[in-house]
Amino acid sequence: MINFYTHKMLQTADGKLPLDVSFTVEKGQFLSIYGNSGAGKTTILRILAGLTEAEKVDIEVENEVWDNSQKKYHLPVQKRSIGFVFQDFALFPNLTVKENLEFALQKNDTPHIVAELIELMELQSLQNSKPQNLSGGQKQRVALARAIVRKPKILLLDEPLSALDDEMRFKLQDYIIKIHQHYQLTTLMISHTIAEIFKLSDKVIILDKGKIVKEGTPSSVFSEEKISSKFKLTGEIISISKSDIVYVVQVLSGNNIVKVIATEDEIKDFRIGQKVLVASKAFNPIIQVIS
Amino acid sequence: MNTLNGTITTIQSHEGISLVKVKSGNTIFTSIVLDSPETVSYLKTDYPVKILFKETEVIIAKDFNPNISIQNRILCSIQSIKKGVILSQINLVSDKVSIKSIITSNACNQLELKENDTVIALIKTNEVSLSPND
Repeated sequence: MINFYTHKMLQTADGKLPLDVSFTVEKGQFLSIYGNSGAGKTTILRILAGLTEAEKVDIEVENEVWDNSQKKYHLPVQKRSIGFVFQDFALFPNLTVKENLEFALQKNDTPHIVAELIELMELQSLQNSKPQNLSGGQKQRVALARAIVRKPKILLLDEPLSALDDEMRFKLQDYIIKIHQHYQLTTLMISHTIAEIFKLSDKVIILDKGKIVKEGTPSSVFSEEKISSKFKLTGEIISISKSDIVYVVQVLSGNNIVKVIATEDEIKDFRIGQKVLVASKAFNPIIQVIS
Repeated sequence: MNTLNGTITTIQSHEGISLVKVKSGNTIFTSIVLDSPETVSYLKTDYPVKILFKETEVIIAKDFNPNISIQNRILCSIQSIKKGVILSQINLVSDKVSIKSIITSNACNQLELKENDTVIALIKTNEVSLSPND
């Protein structure tokens, strides 16, 4: 089990923001962290990894203290049993796939784990290739394998799939599930994709401006009945244009663009790129058969 | 979007559809929803909810007691009118609560609407959404 608490003043584009969070993750659990950019998601993972310092921090992993700012105790990064995968593919360009994995081995580790990971992650045909000859998805598969070489207790994933296309994402999600289960990891993943969070995680926390605003299972957090309307879609505002005394707001949802009328007062809270819920009553839409 | 606070007074359900009455100030609103007390937790008497309806779904009438099917009728006075070429926004106030209506400018002219006029705002039952207020 991970007990995590931190308080840290963040410097963001909008000025200072206190990050103040406390949560627990059960052993073997898959936790996702969801929230806007600048909410402090990456900082949480970095503090847990020991890469970033905080004013107040209290971290315990399976009854072992990793950080205790009151007692001025800080377990160094290299002593924390952690694997980390970032959004960019941080592989050594001059080493082959296999050498990249071997490089992560520590003195007394048996090289057996490298062979095992190559098999588990289906990297056999790629093991002698250099990173430059791999696709984005293949590189991330190698990065995942490398994060596991030291058999960490905790796997930290910072938007590992965000640079990949959908097909590749789905495959990589399967590999993530596989290693999470096979090595009985406790995994913390930052993700912006609700579908991905549903597929992978046992628990999700939503972070907003440095605070946890919601936590629970993905379905309790995301599928909550917030409005009785039955005709709903979520999307992103792509344009707002004035039309007479009202405004036309275009919302992109999947591959569809819908247009919704909004008043001048409403658009004050809207901005391009904002995630929104568009809702109407089940009584309004008409259905036509497409011939 | 018009948003009013209210509390549920009665719920009548049948085969997954519920007719919900919500009291807001001195006005009782009626909403029809595809839910029942079994499917959502907030559908219960005395539960605080938000009453939501779009400005463009608010009908304005000068006849205070029209013999028509619309169930939600709110006596209001016109606070201000924002006139556009095609559409006009009528800002109404009832019982300290503000309600906005967007109608065509033609309709606004035809009814000769002006500030301080007393009118009724009409909203069809199936245009009113509810949202748990917690």
